[in-house]
Amino acid sequence: MKERAGETGMRVGGSSPTRRSLRRAERRPSHKGEAEARAARADQPWDAWCRMQALVGLLAAVLTAPPALSEDAPAPKPPGDIPVLAEEAAAAGIAHVYGGPWEYFVGGGVAAFDCNDDRRPDLFLAGGKNEAALYVNRSEVGGALRFAKGETGLSGRDLTRVTGAYPLDIDNDGIMDLAVLRVGENLLLKGKGACRFEVANRAFGFDGGRGWTTAFAAEWEPGEAFPTLAFGQYVDRSAPGSPWGTCHDNFLFRPQKTDRAGAAAPDYSDPDTLSPGYCALSMLFTDWNRSGEASLRITNDRQYYRGGEEQLWKVPPKRPPKLYTASDGWRRLMIWGMGIAEADLDADGYPEYALTSMGDNKLEKLDPEAEEDRPVYENIAYDLGAMAHRPYTGGDLKPSTAWHAGFADFNNDGLSDLFIAKGNVEAMPDFAAFDPDNLLLGLWQGGFAEAGKEAGIALDRRGRGAAIADLNLDGMLDLVVVNREAPVSLFRNCGVKTGLGAAPLGNFVEIAVSQEGANRNAVGARLSVKTGTHVMARRIQTGGGHASGSAGFVHVGLGTAERAEIRIEWPDGEWSHPYRVFANQFVVIRRGEAAASYWYPPQ
Amino acid sequence: MGAAPGRPQQSGQHPPCRRSPGAGFLAALVMCAQPAFAGADEPAPWSERVVTRHLDYEALAGPLDKDRLEALISDGERLFTGKFTRADGAGRPMATQAIIPTRRKRAVETAFSRTGLDANSCSSCHHEPVAGGSGPFTANAFVSEGFDTPDFDSLDPQFSNERGTTHLFGAGLIELLAREMTGELKAQRSEGLRKARASGAPATVALSAKGVGFGKLTAAADGTVDLSGLEGIDTDLVVRPFSQKGVMTSLRQFSINAANQHHGMQAEERFGARWTGSGDFDEDGVSDELSPGDISALVAFQASLSPPGRKADLPPRWAEAAGRGESLFAQMGCAACHRPFLPLKSLAFTDPGPDDAAGTLRLGDVARPILLDLGVTQWARSLPRNAAGEVLVPLFGDLKRHIIADVGIDRLGNELLAQRFVERDAFMTAELWGVGSTAPYGHRGDILSLAEVIEAHGGEATDARKAWLAAGEEAREDVIAFLRSLVLQ
Repeated sequence: MKERAGETGMRVGGSSPTRRSLRRAERRPSHKGEAEARAARADQPWDAWCRMQALVGLLAAVLTAPPALSEDAPAPKPPGDIPVLAEEAAAAGIAHVYGGPWEYFVGGGVAAFDCNDDRRPDLFLAGGKNEAALYVNRSEVGGALRFAKGETGLSGRDLTRVTGAYPLDIDNDGIMDLAVLRVGENLLLKGKGACRFEVANRAFGFDGGRGWTTAFAAEWEPGEAFPTLAFGQYVDRSAPGSPWGTCHDNFLFRPQKTDRAGAAAPDYSDPDTLSPGYCALSMLFTDWNRSGEASLRITNDRQYYRGGEEQLWKVPPKRPPKLYTASDGWRRLMIWGMGIAEADLDADGYPEYALTSMGDNKLEKLDPEAEEDRPVYENIAYDLGAMAHRPYTGGDLKPSTAWHAGFADFNNDGLSDLFIAKGNVEAMPDFAAFDPDNLLLGLWQGGFAEAGKEAGIALDRRGRGAAIADLNLDGMLDLVVVNREAPVSLFRNCGVKTGLGAAPLGNFVEIAVSQEGANRNAVGARLSVKTGTHVMARRIQTGGGHASGSAGFVHVGLGTAERAEIRIEWPDGEWSHPYRVFANQFVVIRRGEAAASYWYPPQ
Repeated sequence: MGAAPGRPQQSGQHPPCRRSPGAGFLAALVMCAQPAFAGADEPAPWSERVVTRHLDYEALAGPLDKDRLEALISDGERLFTGKFTRADGAGRPMATQAIIPTRRKRAVETAFSRTGLDANSCSSCHHEPVAGGSGPFTANAFVSEGFDTPDFDSLDPQFSNERGTTHLFGAGLIELLAREMTGELKAQRSEGLRKARASGAPATVALSAKGVGFGKLTAAADGTVDLSGLEGIDTDLVVRPFSQKGVMTSLRQFSINAANQHHGMQAEERFGARWTGSGDFDEDGVSDELSPGDISALVAFQASLSPPGRKADLPPRWAEAAGRGESLFAQMGCAACHRPFLPLKSLAFTDPGPDDAAGTLRLGDVARPILLDLGVTQWARSLPRNAAGEVLVPLFGDLKRHIIADVGIDRLGNELLAQRFVERDAFMTAELWGVGSTAPYGHRGDILSLAEVIEAHGGEATDARKAWLAAGEEAREDVIAFLRSLVLQ
């Protein structure tokens, strides 16, 4: 599952900006410049390591030249908090590399989810030619990140050739399962508890195929006990002329025999073919038109397709999937599509999509002039400062190569930020070699401003997949990035960068929702979190990013708000009553219960 | 000014410690050389301005000796009693009164109105008998959350809750009590969770702090906590002792809220660029109108206000009646909520405190807090202590919310708007210390005598009211004599 972020954001109070006003948001320098420095407190979770990292970053910023940008106008600087993201993978006990030949130029995903029922996100890391690895989270609350390599119960054969993974509870037993993408047979791993798994392809009637899988998404269709699974394929290496113009078809696995009352396991024995396939690198079920019925958005890599484009599939319940076409209003878009992230930035119910690519990245918004139910999108990436088309530091003017994208509130200011993993495919000379990941912080006046360097994530590594999760349960989002042929990066969010180190960020709430029966984790639910006039929207989704998925607490930054009201639109469209909660709590909402509970990690 | 390194001056100029990104380290090196204040040029002696200089929090941090404490209190009194001007930043043309920075859709047209932006000084309401005191009915405030309908020109209760002005004497002790109670309650929650996790079975904990019960919670073995059994406290177990609804955590938070709501004076730590993207969020042409140091001065002034006491030199008849009345007050059940004393372990008042959230300066935001030792005050020495050495704070309250109205007795349930998750019929127990000096009564300040307000008690106070009514006229007079002896000094 992957929660997507969005909010009325972009500004304080008042009514939500219209689609038009969101598009028109200006890219201008901030009113006040850099955030105020705050002194660090010595006895709190922001420990010596974090403070040291902050100081190192500050000194580096003092001693190095400003970013080499050639824009006409200076890039805006975020006036709010810039989080200190301290890289501590080695210290945390994670030593893992994704690598391998051509098949592993793409992929490189991570699944962040709780596999041992302690609510801490554990990490399943794809390895490519190396074995995938499961790292069990042993981090202290608010402390340094700590992981221990876990024993999965899987064979080495099953763990190799893995490109990515997504967590979801396929069989509704309350234990997270994994959809594992591979070069070769994909695997559905049934969670057994205590971070152990077994291959359930046979039990679930699932044929994992022999393709090169690079994308995944899942949803529970109306009335279905088990999820519908979509697998996106890359190049069909066995086709004549491969790799050029030989993209593989994609597949949709709908659960069969839904009339079996109380069936304990799904039957995926009769998949639909989604043809044509155009070398999918990310896919996401999304309710783009507020119809209550998800469609399948696929971003495709133009590097290999011929005559291809971005795709949106209608997936009507109990009927065959069907592509949206020009006659439906769909506009042809050809990009080197690598990743998808969804956010409802203005909380109008119509999501925006970040699409990563080589060079310009896209931020698509439903065209306000479009007729009802026509998927006509306009690109607002430039207007919002989210194009991230070339490195923001290092002086390389060649275009970037972007992969994973994720919206989240890294600085707890109540605005959505956008993380983008970057990295050269391998050694493509026309694209930047040093291509640091982006941390685009949301601005109150609208748009985003780059803070990757100041935050500390501008490493010389070729990023691929990523997960954004609160790994040490301190209310601040941490970050794990899988890099190609380089160690995994594990960034601990230490808080706001100050003159003396790191200090706490804004308020937050983290929300876990559940329901009885099928789809226990409410994939597809929309969370609406209201503080004053400000509404922040989140959608619980399984899919998107780049070969990477997350499940667990949905994090929402609250800024200065001390209280919040949470409403949930459950996957079947039924809205909950408002749940009143206080800030800085982990909130557990079980469908049907009158009040939310709070959860506290062990002391 | 410049509490945090690099904080911009009110004039918009940058003080020496303002640095571009990355220069904070250097700023830290020179920070100790900064004066305790920085700011605009020295004003002319006839200046109408109140904020003639901003106080630097960092320069104030740490334990304050007597002289520095008195200086800070004096600065706080200056800000509390001063009449803010446009040049100070008074007014909020493009911001509402909301506690979360919220913009208006259009500028407000009037500088002052009865129902919004209603004062240019704290002491214009809190002034009876002296600055920090209560206010008469004419000083009532109209409380609206300020989100959806910030503008209202009607006193109709559908738009706002009308509230009387309470006194602030003894407020530092109240906040210290609340902090200790919060700590106790959180510790009990932690213990319940520990037991549940250890045993694998739910653990129900009866919550109690300083002898005041707050209901119960049930911790499950999986770490979740059922909050449905809580009584009179918020679900995060923070005792919020301020405001008539008990919805404000600290003097610091209260001051920031009130300065914005009543004066349009916006504190940097809530409305500054960090949280709004702009130093001049209300668009009145003045940036960062109150620095963290300024707010600390306001806190110090309020926290150090002496607690109310007993009227001295009572004539014998009154003293005897008050003595009898105090006993009757307990016998009638009034003291079940209006507790004569709550014990306080420590008089060390740190600013900021431990329980505030972002938007109010937090302990984690500062290298070290300001330490106000209330024990050095003259009044502290006169407070009684118990055998454990704890100060017995004579507040006549319990820092807990209660249902105070019912269908039959609904006079104190006359508001139409819930406030910050607190329903209309629930109010914090009014602390009765000083009640002899602070007529009129009730949260609206519209009840003219003590007898009337006692008889307005419904809900959880029904039995006490019945006992009052059942008592004879002489006994009721004795209770009034007692209450009238609790005065601001």
